[in-house]
Amino acid sequence: MSYDIKRSVSLYSFQEEYYLGKMSLEDCIREVSKTGATGIELLAEQMMDDFPVLTPKFKEQWFGWMEKYGTEPTCYDAFLENRIYKNRTCTLKEQIAMMERDIRLAHEMGFKTLRTLVSTPMNVIEGSIPIAEANDIKVCLEVHSPFSLNSGWADGYMEMILRTGTKNFGFMPDFGIFCKKIPDLLTEQARRKGVSEECIKAVEDAFHNRVTKGFTKIKYDTNLGRAHQEYMRVNGLPDLLEKIQRLGGEGNALDYARSSFQYTWCETRDIIDNIKYIYHTHAKFYHVDENYEETSIPIREVVEAYKKAGYHGYLSSEYEGNGMLNDAYEVDSVEQVRRHQEALRRAIEG
Amino acid sequence: MNPKYMFDPKGFKNVEKNGKVIGFQFDFKMQYYRGVTLSIIRNIEVNVDGEEFNREDIRFTLEGDTFTLDEMETVITYRWKYGQYATVTVLKDGGLAKGKHHIKAVQTIAPSYMPMILVKPGEYDFEIV
Repeated sequence: MSYDIKRSVSLYSFQEEYYLGKMSLEDCIREVSKTGATGIELLAEQMMDDFPVLTPKFKEQWFGWMEKYGTEPTCYDAFLENRIYKNRTCTLKEQIAMMERDIRLAHEMGFKTLRTLVSTPMNVIEGSIPIAEANDIKVCLEVHSPFSLNSGWADGYMEMILRTGTKNFGFMPDFGIFCKKIPDLLTEQARRKGVSEECIKAVEDAFHNRVTKGFTKIKYDTNLGRAHQEYMRVNGLPDLLEKIQRLGGEGNALDYARSSFQYTWCETRDIIDNIKYIYHTHAKFYHVDENYEETSIPIREVVEAYKKAGYHGYLSSEYEGNGMLNDAYEVDSVEQVRRHQEALRRAIEG
Repeated sequence: MNPKYMFDPKGFKNVEKNGKVIGFQFDFKMQYYRGVTLSIIRNIEVNVDGEEFNREDIRFTLEGDTFTLDEMETVITYRWKYGQYATVTVLKDGGLAKGKHHIKAVQTIAPSYMPMILVKPGEYDFEIV
């Protein structure tokens, strides 16, 4: 199958430096272009000062930067704030209006895809499809760990895609579903917090066991909290917590055990089986070492599946290791993104 | 975001009104990775040197406009931007004594998509001069 895999960076990757005022939006775009990536992904609610208003001045700057740095907008990451009021959930009409606001904004800024979160109700997505069609936007449901493709959860959405025949709604996997190991930085941080080697070994062994045996996939449930709890239960969290307690582990050790359930390993054939409906990808990463290896995600193996599937689209680097480091070290998101882009380049071109 | 980044070291001071010290204030950032409408901030708790202040005595100021915590629940036109300092004023007759203090503030943030509400504490040593 012919493929055309392009490289993008989500500016979310630079959240540490941006938060601290060390990098501006333009700095982020410039750093992306230096890596050779051509795509820019944006969380408007994170880095666009006048959100949700697109001022003529900002629009001019935005397209000016795209031209200056040789980049193009790829994905707009939306957050459906459907509980914006404390005392009620927004009505269907209000939620679709919120989707419309974001879809129009994405279109005005030149994006082709819009990320919607797993919490977006089905009827809100379905009601937004005509708006997405009119604005040439593909709304993509983020398949974020512990959610997965080829699962009861994904089937619910697949049924809607097939029933409506829409070309404006699909999926965007997040590489967090392809973790063969717990990110090493998370384990290092647990050590800094005093978690014992016995507890660390128990958590790592349990993770390895899930990878070898296969994770039990999450079910479709409109109550996401419940779906998540059930997912952790069937994958063995209660047993693990009991073991940690037997080993004398307390708060930080139990937290480390729980957080290990945020990472999952899915077979890469999930990509191949669903490629017709995948329009964008978050190439999530936590730590790329000096040899350009992601310490928990086998980038080459995952990218091979995209090639085999004949993917036409972007892989967008999304760095999320800062929180595992910044309690003790200075974060260098620019260097991490550079390394990750090089790792992606080698995997795509190699 | 790491709580050590939360407080602006330069923001701590007593507040005067009509020649009287009516309280103290500080500037902090939200411990979250995007901007949100003020309606998403469900609580701010302040404790200085072990003294806990009442919710009713806390004011939140963003870009020159001030709200009580109850008022914030319906504010959807003002957004607390990512990485932006907002000012918290605590009404307390006479303010804080000159010298060293320790603050613990807790932000309660309720992003719609999360099954749980975020409760984010941060602590800091500061001095009133």
